[in-house]
Amino acid sequence: MVPCSTGCAGSKRVIRVLLIGYGNTLRGDDALGPMALERLRTTLPEMEYISCHQLGPELAERLAACDLAVFVDASGNGEPGAVHVVRLSPEPSHAASFTHHVQPTALLHLAKELYGRAPQAMLVTGTGATFDSGEELSAQGQLALDRICRLVPLLVRDFPAMW
Amino acid sequence: MPTITIDPVTRIEGHSKITIQLDNQGEVQDARFHVTQVRGFEKLCEGRPFTEMPALMARICGICPTSHLLASSKACDGIMAVRIPETAEKLRRIMNLAQITQSHALSFFYLSSPDFLLGMDADPEERNIMGVVRKYPAMARDGIKLRQFGQCVVETLGGKRVHPGWIVPGGVSHPLQAEQRDQILAAIPEAIRITRGALHWFKGQIESFRAEVRSFANFPSMFLAMANDANEFSAYNGWLRFIDSNLNIVADHITGADYMNYIGESCNDDSYLKSTYFKPLGLAGGMYRVGPLARLNMCKSAGTPQADEELAEFRELERHSVLSSFYYHYARLIEILYSIERMETLLHDSEILGKNVRAHAAPNNFEGVGILEAPRGTLIHHYHIDQNGLIEKANLVIATGHNNLAINHGVLQVARQFVKGNTLEQGMLNRVEAVVRAFDPCLSCSTHATGEMPLDIQLLDADGTLLDRLRR
Repeated sequence: MVPCSTGCAGSKRVIRVLLIGYGNTLRGDDALGPMALERLRTTLPEMEYISCHQLGPELAERLAACDLAVFVDASGNGEPGAVHVVRLSPEPSHAASFTHHVQPTALLHLAKELYGRAPQAMLVTGTGATFDSGEELSAQGQLALDRICRLVPLLVRDFPAMW
Repeated sequence: MPTITIDPVTRIEGHSKITIQLDNQGEVQDARFHVTQVRGFEKLCEGRPFTEMPALMARICGICPTSHLLASSKACDGIMAVRIPETAEKLRRIMNLAQITQSHALSFFYLSSPDFLLGMDADPEERNIMGVVRKYPAMARDGIKLRQFGQCVVETLGGKRVHPGWIVPGGVSHPLQAEQRDQILAAIPEAIRITRGALHWFKGQIESFRAEVRSFANFPSMFLAMANDANEFSAYNGWLRFIDSNLNIVADHITGADYMNYIGESCNDDSYLKSTYFKPLGLAGGMYRVGPLARLNMCKSAGTPQADEELAEFRELERHSVLSSFYYHYARLIEILYSIERMETLLHDSEILGKNVRAHAAPNNFEGVGILEAPRGTLIHHYHIDQNGLIEKANLVIATGHNNLAINHGVLQVARQFVKGNTLEQGMLNRVEAVVRAFDPCLSCSTHATGEMPLDIQLLDADGTLLDRLRR
């Protein structure tokens, strides 16, 4: 949780921040999300963390209970080592079922439909170089990890002013 | 000869298609269920140390890793010739029951509930999980909560929801802690409430699905499931038993040592999924079913009070065994109830926090067979090792393979009931898919590959000309 700096002058309201890092820890740079969470957990212990292989509908209830959700994932698009931030809005899924993986935007939609509210949310992606079998990051993956871990605390800190 | 192809079948686990053969009068002559994924795990594990098998086999599937982990570990127990500590066995049973709970909740709520809630004939754009979320949010919340309960138990014990560890050859890797036990116990009342609510709701809907009950793989067949001396529901320990549709025992006390005398496997030219059959009757006459329907037909009682009440009501559906595969859905809910009740009993067991949870041994046998009741049915892992403990050969017999002949027979039955003429209609196609869905096939498991499943149905005339086509 982080102190609220807007809209509640003098109050003690805190903002609940949920970080969700997801990916396959056995597929090289795909582990960026879970690895970033492990590192951030030590530097930002006041936040809530979920580390998982894939996103499932079971996360929707937790999302509805927070003010800001930060999804951290690996990407195969763009320059390896680059980090991108995208603001997310709830969007219904076109999938016939939710058996394996749900998109972050669909999860936000589920939270809103089923539990009454969706948090503000952003997706932070680090572009990986290799997604082959293995438990180590590539050099570019390591660069993306460092950048994510520097960027996320700033995003969370500035969240009240940004929204 | 005209052919309709449903490719892929939707809302099941894996890739498949269905072809429906019409005669020149437009009547259904034949129908086939084809699995289009490639099998591979049995081959790629050759040469690996047998101790790696549980972790390796768990990667077969993202829905059923726990079942493979358990069956594989049981096979490794056999290779080591160890009797695992009692506490470890109880903990493994809890893990299996949690897997049954989460998998059945996924099947009922995520995959099949759109058919029950929105109707078989509803627009496919609406007849999906998002349609349920929009129109029946309370049901959707319950489904998510119930699956979450099962997953949380798996995660609490095994460290992860998908591809957990913890189950190892010889037992489990570490004991259960009191706070973990209490955490699971605290969640049980709500899980039971949701399950009882779903059962009550589903029983009230059955009347409106009479046509589906009549035609969804509703025929006499044998059933295969695990059995025990008490004739109670058994999912972890026991032997295999075949019964016929009149509940007569056909073959009993089948163990890992002799299952191959009773279960034959046949390869198909048009599918990567093998068909298993009752060997003494051959491929033509040896069709049987496994899974929730088979297990409830097999046992005299569940062994837990609330599930037994439901089982008594379930038995009133038919004079002998319950034959319609539409009732797989009903049976799944009863099994969830049983699983939660049994988990609670096991967690209250005085030995459940015991510290002795693993037996250690070098290989003492060159062969090991692990048998388990997975959510979808009987699961067999059979390994041969060499003198260095490396896998020489592995054979996996999966629930969906056991059910393959019955699924094919069921697809033909429902196609004959609902497919008419040379024009395709969504409701008709959905029923053909829904009969497959009733079995809850897991094709990633049964062919040991991964993937998703689209739908493409083609209607061809006798010359192979495309008459109609539907895709989604």
